[in-house]
Amino acid sequence: MAEVNNVAVKPIKKSIIEVFMSGAKKGFYIGVEQILPAMILGYVIIQFLKLTGLIDVLSVVFNPIMGVFGLPGESIVVIISAFFSKAAGAASAANLYGEGVLTAAQCTILVMPCMLMGTLVGHFARIILVANVNPKHRGLMLAVPIIDSIVGMIVMRLILLATGLM
Amino acid sequence: MTDTKQVEEKVTIKGWIALIVLCLMFSGVFKDFDGPLKALDFLNLSGAFGKIGETSHTFIGSGGAGAKEGFVQALSLIPSVAFAVAMIDVVTELGAMKAAVKLFNPILKPMLGIPGECGISFVATFTSSDVGSVMTKEMYDKEEITDKQRSIFAAYQYAGSAVILNTINTQAALLPIVVLAIGPIIVLLFLCKVFGANLVRFVLTLKEKKAGGK
Repeated sequence: MAEVNNVAVKPIKKSIIEVFMSGAKKGFYIGVEQILPAMILGYVIIQFLKLTGLIDVLSVVFNPIMGVFGLPGESIVVIISAFFSKAAGAASAANLYGEGVLTAAQCTILVMPCMLMGTLVGHFARIILVANVNPKHRGLMLAVPIIDSIVGMIVMRLILLATGLM
Repeated sequence: MTDTKQVEEKVTIKGWIALIVLCLMFSGVFKDFDGPLKALDFLNLSGAFGKIGETSHTFIGSGGAGAKEGFVQALSLIPSVAFAVAMIDVVTELGAMKAAVKLFNPILKPMLGIPGECGISFVATFTSSDVGSVMTKEMYDKEEITDKQRSIFAAYQYAGSAVILNTINTQAALLPIVVLAIGPIIVLLFLCKVFGANLVRFVLTLKEKKAGGK
């Protein structure tokens, strides 16, 4: 009980060390509660596609489309996972990099859609609906992340080509 | 918006330095520096896992797959994420975000067509997905922004949402792989977000003109 009283009397101002440590703790929980589940999702999706052989089908079908961005057909899996969660998209890309399917430069391009159109549905509720955007504009809102991703992938590819990193 | 003004006045030298140091840490400019300045780089400070025995593998090993591999990979990301979140909290405590608000206030109008009063929520959206959207709704309810400005601002927030924190958190698996430092990636993502918001700005302005023409 004495401790509780102390906390109440003390000014709320924390030292920088305390801020750092509570931030690191927060980061740990972000890792365990948000990244870890998404990573397991991303890796299970890929494993499922590999065991069923579907990944080869997807690769052939999407090769022409993904080729526009300098990516192999398999990277459609990254886009699909990112649609559910940004971190799952990143996890799928990291997995495909480990398999030698994607290069480091291609992974850099894929950060753009993983971020910009990641968690598309979840964030529609969290941002567009919470901000109470005019219902007439909501279709347009849904198109923005997708257009952003396309522009982002093209620009990133050009930057990598121009700097010789790809 | 008396609140905005009060916050603006409190920007300290400490806040500016904290903001600059954070930008330098994530920029990657000091990554391959010789000498003590390389200690200013985020990746260098994050360090590396030790190798197991004579192999070239860390505890992650090689050849893993499925949920088990996802779990180990996620574990390997936690140190950098914990460190990055801690650094962001520290610079926020030192007033870096207030400095950022001051920096963005004058350019919000030309950049996104939204008033400078959105500065606080704009800066908040760098590290939080939810604060911005709630504040956007409130600002519209208080008639500080128009219907069109609300849509533009929401479009900015929607794509990629909290661009700094989300890049660190959700892209953690890709950050050790990518060929650019995290700073330039965040800048590029930010520019794409601004592009998308301006697309909405353009479409809605066009619609307004059409409606006005009738």
